[in-house]
Amino acid sequence: MLSRHAESFFWLARNVERAETVARVLDVTYTRSMDRFQHDVWANRAWRTALAIGTLAEPANVDTCDAESAFDRCIFDATNLSSIASTVSIARTNAINVRSELSTETWENINELYLDVRAQTIEAVTREGPARFLRRVRDRCQAIEGVTDATLLHVDGWNFLQLGRFAERGYLALRMLATIESLDDPWPEWQALLEMASASMPFARASSHLPASREVVDFVLFDPTFPRSVGFCANEVDAALHRISETPQGRGYTNQAEKLAGRLCAEFNFADVADVLHEGLHPFVRRIRHEIEDVMGAIQGVYFPRIPVPNAPLLPVEVVSA
Amino acid sequence: MLSVPKRLEPGGVFDEFFLDAETPRPVYERLAETLRSLQPGELAGGVRAINAALLRRGVTFTVYAEDAGTERIFPFDPIPRIFAAEEWDQIAAGVAQRVRALNAFLRDVYHEARILRENTALRDAVFSSNLYVREMIGVRVPHDVYIHVSGIDLIRDETGTMLVLEDNVRTPSGISYVLENRDVLKRTFPKLFEGYPLRPVDDYPRRLLRTLRDAAPPRSGEPNIIVLTPGVYNSAYYEHAMLARQMGVPLVEGRDLIVVDNTVFLKTTRGLERVDVIYRRIDDDFLDPLYFRHDSVLGAVGLMNAYRSGNVTLANAIGTGVADDKALYRFVPEMIRFYLHEDSLLPNVETFDCTDERSRRHVLGNLENMVVKRTDGSGGYGMLIGPASTAAEREEFARAIEAEPRSYIAQPTIQLSSHPTLAGQDLVARRIDLRPFVLYGKRVDVPPAALTRVALREGSLVVNSSQGGGSKDTWVLGASGA
Repeated sequence: MLSRHAESFFWLARNVERAETVARVLDVTYTRSMDRFQHDVWANRAWRTALAIGTLAEPANVDTCDAESAFDRCIFDATNLSSIASTVSIARTNAINVRSELSTETWENINELYLDVRAQTIEAVTREGPARFLRRVRDRCQAIEGVTDATLLHVDGWNFLQLGRFAERGYLALRMLATIESLDDPWPEWQALLEMASASMPFARASSHLPASREVVDFVLFDPTFPRSVGFCANEVDAALHRISETPQGRGYTNQAEKLAGRLCAEFNFADVADVLHEGLHPFVRRIRHEIEDVMGAIQGVYFPRIPVPNAPLLPVEVVSA
Repeated sequence: MLSVPKRLEPGGVFDEFFLDAETPRPVYERLAETLRSLQPGELAGGVRAINAALLRRGVTFTVYAEDAGTERIFPFDPIPRIFAAEEWDQIAAGVAQRVRALNAFLRDVYHEARILRENTALRDAVFSSNLYVREMIGVRVPHDVYIHVSGIDLIRDETGTMLVLEDNVRTPSGISYVLENRDVLKRTFPKLFEGYPLRPVDDYPRRLLRTLRDAAPPRSGEPNIIVLTPGVYNSAYYEHAMLARQMGVPLVEGRDLIVVDNTVFLKTTRGLERVDVIYRRIDDDFLDPLYFRHDSVLGAVGLMNAYRSGNVTLANAIGTGVADDKALYRFVPEMIRFYLHEDSLLPNVETFDCTDERSRRHVLGNLENMVVKRTDGSGGYGMLIGPASTAAEREEFARAIEAEPRSYIAQPTIQLSSHPTLAGQDLVARRIDLRPFVLYGKRVDVPPAALTRVALREGSLVVNSSQGGGSKDTWVLGASGA
């Protein structure tokens, strides 16, 4: 496939994944705030966490904020490339770029998401109830994921979607773990983390007794059956790379991206939570995050042209009636 | 009950729908009955749903000159325009004849130039045309086909005669609306189709693909075909993407191409891939910065050399624009006689050549009754519609004509035929035209897929999408005679 199309598929998937995650993080924080944040201290910390994930900032560098400013920054702010408005707009621009390669259903879902988000204001979202809007964004993102799986040929374009989707998903899970202060954080913090990672139910099924923080770390990082654990994502990235190059996974590499992705997989296949805690949660999370960034950089170098894909601003859309 | 107005517009305009004050024309009888049976608001409600669907599908075009690329839907009118089989077959034969003659003309002007030896006025028009591409002289194009895809604009005058208004033999657009219009009308108003045996339009992409395969340079193996687009900001990008998707070929931008050893390649994730046929939706000027506009980033460096070497087919060929230069339009009947030894099946609109002093004086003296067009213009930009113009506009055009007579032609204002069209809840008469598309591969093919454009403003004669036009589904009845 065209290198330019491959790159657009990759960014399309990354931005849809990020929009979904930011919507879920805001939703979890907002709904939890309604019956749990009697203490300002907690509320402050929760919204700071949401803002750190929704702006890809280091938790230490995020200022105190309230719900409204978090919504504003993470939903509408066009200067924040991780806001829902930005990610959805960039996803659509990339979808237009590969319009000839997408199924009608995929394109329409992306376009409808864009038209919905574009029509929103903070007042409208507040009036409607933020949870409803955020839920709609999540639903639509998941519909996009499902419909691409069900309607695209599982060849190059879809493989680049998988690459973008899982690289981004693993990366954002690490961003969430970075907002944990220490293993001694109270349980509600861990519960919030599980919900933001969409891991609450899967974790409850996988752990049989009253769980401890260590198990949450183990689950979110390593669980090989949970499709959002960092290890699972690393393996999917590696598998997609080998499908693209048509070489067997687990037996060496044919380019720099496969080399780095293979190493990352080995890290998850041959380490456990004891190793993580030995290294320290935060140093480990930081290191793996850089390794994922290196994999993404290598994918760029191997497969994409040196001409950037346009990340256009929102185009005004109006209906002209007859 | 929706009332179909008895007479939509008083005399002077041909009514497509009604035979006289009382009776619909035979092909419209069934439709009139169906329209009368609709509930009030049914049509308007359906149109709202259609417009929402078109926006959702992203069937939009970009309006230039407004704030940096506004995306708009091309308004859709739900009342279909209908052709009986015999009438359509005559139209198809007429436009096919025209394209054959124009193609023979292009072959001639870029080689022996036989016709130019016999007709000095035509010779002057060709050599003064900025659409005549000297780089194409002596270049053999595969199978001598220049005009693989064209759209011929037709109008019906006061007497009901179909006339050719202009030929579009560069990169005509609009076919995506034909395909979308049929699809949305079927889904929204299935009732209207009852009792009408229609020819389908949805095989157009297949017919286009066959045309492009026929155009491939002689080389063993399956030709590698691409669609070349200027990119996502082009007003017809949706159409480029739709055709590429339905033909199953890559939609490519100039930056995806590289020319090595006079061969065109695509940059893919598996390395370079050879290209044989380029269905290009980019103007000549932008195709190759080495030969044409040096500042173009839309084409590919070296493309022209690859083309001249015969290693790649461009559809349409470079240099076809001279055949639709409006200053040459009045010679087309003569071309038909000269190359085909036939009389024109479809007449031209009377046209005044502003370089001729007597004609120019006539034009300048009658500007308020004339339509004046730039000879190298298209898309409804740079036009004067005399009856609708202000004195100041006429003054401006008069000065422009005096200054550059070669750049303008004038025609008497033809009252385009009218057709019932929905405005709010009511049916009103609005002017329409017709653009059949002609494909030319091993033979000339006229698919029963024509675009009817409608001027949505009352009394307006301008149907272009960029100028407040809309479109209608166009039905061709009966078994194919082609």
